[in-house]
Amino acid sequence: MTEIKTNQTLDLRNTPCPMNFVKTKLKLEEMNKGEVLEVLLDDGDPITNVTASVKEEGHQILKVEQLKNYWKLIVKKI
Amino acid sequence: MKKKNTLDLNELRKGGILKQRQKDYFILRTRIPGGYLKADVLPKFAQIAKKYGRGYIHLSTRQAIEIAWVHIKDLDNLIKDLKKLGILKGACGPRSRNIVSCPGLSVCRFGFTDTEKLAAKFDKRFFGKDVPKKFKIGLTGCPNSCAKPQENDIGFMAVGEPECNLDLCTSCTLCAKVCEKVCARGKREPAVIMDKNKKPVYRREFCFFEGDCIRVCPTGAWKLKQTGYTVFLGGKVGRFPDLGHKIKEFASEEDIFKITEKAIDCYNRIAEKSERFGEAIERAGIEEVKREIL
Repeated sequence: MTEIKTNQTLDLRNTPCPMNFVKTKLKLEEMNKGEVLEVLLDDGDPITNVTASVKEEGHQILKVEQLKNYWKLIVKKI
Repeated sequence: MKKKNTLDLNELRKGGILKQRQKDYFILRTRIPGGYLKADVLPKFAQIAKKYGRGYIHLSTRQAIEIAWVHIKDLDNLIKDLKKLGILKGACGPRSRNIVSCPGLSVCRFGFTDTEKLAAKFDKRFFGKDVPKKFKIGLTGCPNSCAKPQENDIGFMAVGEPECNLDLCTSCTLCAKVCEKVCARGKREPAVIMDKNKKPVYRREFCFFEGDCIRVCPTGAWKLKQTGYTVFLGGKVGRFPDLGHKIKEFASEEDIFKITEKAIDCYNRIAEKSERFGEAIERAGIEEVKREIL
């Protein structure tokens, strides 16, 4: 599988809902269209809530991957 | 013979005017289907509250505006002004009431149906019908049940059945994760489980039809297959509360109008005077009532 090139990374482990989404949204707002953001999120509500919300905002989710006890979400800004 | 006061209280109640605790004062109840009101109309309510009431309004539990402190001698003028302004009077007494709804599909991320439009259709067909006691209709856009259809004489809850296009699935497992959480709270086995190839398997019999899998799916593999309405019958709160019986799932919009019409007929036929539908159903038996109205 080819590695996806990311422009920015946010480590939001230990950041609770909904602040994790708010921080993701603010980061995406300062990025350019087409750029890729990698977000690290806790297991449970954080990964499911942030994924659903980012999708609702109209961005493209390139990858969702579980790594041990946390998740990596890769989003392309639309 | 003294013929001073010709006011017929029952006639007033029919038009949403309720006697107040205080002598000679009345509360005006209005009709606002689904709680949806155009901003342009809102100042008209304020105008009425200032002219006839005491400058405030009260929001009823059925999402309508009530204006208290209307004096008996002003009632005639009030009714004329309401007509002129296009404010609709509500219902009280033995009649079907204001339709209640949640915000619905147009704005809510969970909604499966346009409750504003649906409430308007229900209002047109079923508002103010004569019944033995009262008849409440509640509409809610999804299984979160914000508009509490289960507490109404008849209530409708929109639901959505999902389906998965496995070609788009990237095996992220988030669908199974959200499903497991919903189903655990609902004390069921998960409706979505991952098979040994990490692809989702949908088990419809366990599904709550709330659509969490569709919302979370990062690739759009999970989609809405069909929507419909779960029908609750005979719910009430009051002094002796009872939630409605679930009598049908995935009813169509056409179905729910027919069911409501038949339910009102059935209520009128089987209930004693001043009896709620739920109480009458308890005597008649829910299976018997279901046979009649479904």
